[in-house]
Amino acid sequence: MKFDIDETMAQMLEAMKGVAKENWKTIKGNANGFLQQRKGRLELLTSLRIANEIKEEFYVKRLKDEKKILESELHSIAIVSKSIAQKAANAAIEVLQDTVSKMIRI
Amino acid sequence: MRKNLLLTTLLVFSLLSCKVIWVPDYNAKLEDQITKSAKANDKLYIDMLDAAPGKRDYDLYKEKYNDIEADINAIQLANEARNNNASFIVINKNLKDAFQEAKKYHKENKTLSDGEIKSYQATLAGFWKPLFLAERGLKINSK
Repeated sequence: MKFDIDETMAQMLEAMKGVAKENWKTIKGNANGFLQQRKGRLELLTSLRIANEIKEEFYVKRLKDEKKILESELHSIAIVSKSIAQKAANAAIEVLQDTVSKMIRI
Repeated sequence: MRKNLLLTTLLVFSLLSCKVIWVPDYNAKLEDQITKSAKANDKLYIDMLDAAPGKRDYDLYKEKYNDIEADINAIQLANEARNNNASFIVINKNLKDAFQEAKKYHKENKTLSDGEIKSYQATLAGFWKPLFLAERGLKINSK
């Protein structure tokens, strides 16, 4: 089973961008951290398989784990994106509330 | 006229109490618990890799496995008790499933090779990180 790490990384980066949308710039650091960690992990697993330190069945299971890790990462990015959006929305509402409060006092 | 005044008053009051909530509140204790448990999980494999191949029997590590599994369950319970927790539940479940698989593999095979230890150490770290970064991402709303 051969892996093109760079192609896999590029596809994962696109998936992360899709989830983060307009918050991409802010969460880019987290996403890059995930991708770098994945690259190191995939290189480690592949080198262990090539050196026959792990069996094929074990290696394939670990690659399947990567799908689940990606799912967790996308959920993590979604949480951070929502958290940023929540802060922005509440800041905007606060401005509106202040304006209304001032108008009521007038 | 009176009805309009009442409606305007209600609108103003509802606007004044308006706040959007899409994510759970940040929990510093939970972040600390996640950090400590992830560290314990990492240390389990560091210790195992340090031990001679003949001293990697599952029974020697059973207690550490159970402590970490109990930590994961406690983190899961805390996440289940929060509002807007759907994504946290998925991240937690993936971590728990992966940890239980690793524990079962060791139990069934009695021991682990260097390669298997390194693989599990790297893979489980990959499952912990999204949980940690998601909790820390909530901090932005606690400021």
